[in-house]
Amino acid sequence: MSRALGLVPHLFVKDVDASLPFYAKAFDAVELFRNVLPNGVVLFVELAVGDARLLVSQEIPRLDALAPSTLGGTPMLLTLETGDPDDLVRRAVFAGARVEAPVEEMFFGERYGRIVDPDGHRWALTTKRERFTPEDIDARTPREV
Amino acid sequence: MADGNPQLTPAAFQTLLALARGRAHGYAIMGFVDEVSGGSAQLGPGTLYRTLARLVADGLVEEAPDASEDQPHDSRRRYYRLTRAGRAVAAREAEFLSRLVAVAGQAGLLKRAESA
Repeated sequence: MSRALGLVPHLFVKDVDASLPFYAKAFDAVELFRNVLPNGVVLFVELAVGDARLLVSQEIPRLDALAPSTLGGTPMLLTLETGDPDDLVRRAVFAGARVEAPVEEMFFGERYGRIVDPDGHRWALTTKRERFTPEDIDARTPREV
Repeated sequence: MADGNPQLTPAAFQTLLALARGRAHGYAIMGFVDEVSGGSAQLGPGTLYRTLARLVADGLVEEAPDASEDQPHDSRRRYYRLTRAGRAVAAREAEFLSRLVAVAGQAGLLKRAESA
């Protein structure tokens, strides 16, 4: 049975315990499990964010598992669906995030905004709406972004 | 899960079901799920721990007071019980599932119910 069963983002940060309060304050993340090496290094922490799982680890340069500030950016955008993206962005900012793109109505029918969390991970906060069909969205797609 | 319409994972609903008749420890929850699913749903210790931690965080399940406080934190040996909110959420989910099952019966998907 090789069918994929789940998709879990695994984020690398400079300091796990310094980073966790953001996810708890901003996204109501709940710590489910942590794995600690004998020397005290937190290998990973498993969080529940809504119905999703999120893994957070301290960066391990030897394994090329690097935090955004070490890399100078991130190629990944994490999309988090919520009933109220405006409120979630406010909470994220209160918890220490920076707004990259304010929440607005988008051509694909969602209210959508982007933030960068204190570790430099990028998040899109958006509604889980089904306002348009794929054909509608095609017709509404701008010529360029 | 204060938004009134929590989405329960199958493991979460089965765990609530296992506790609906009273408190139980983790081993009993795993045994219950194995039994009611006829072995088709396996609840391993990792999923058990995760599911219980999440249900406790959401206020749907609580650890039952027990004499085994000095034991290592092994969710398989600890006792859990439903909170009032947990019972309400389990009941709502059961009512929702029973409506789905009724529709499935009307659609002829339940052979045993048809011949009964």
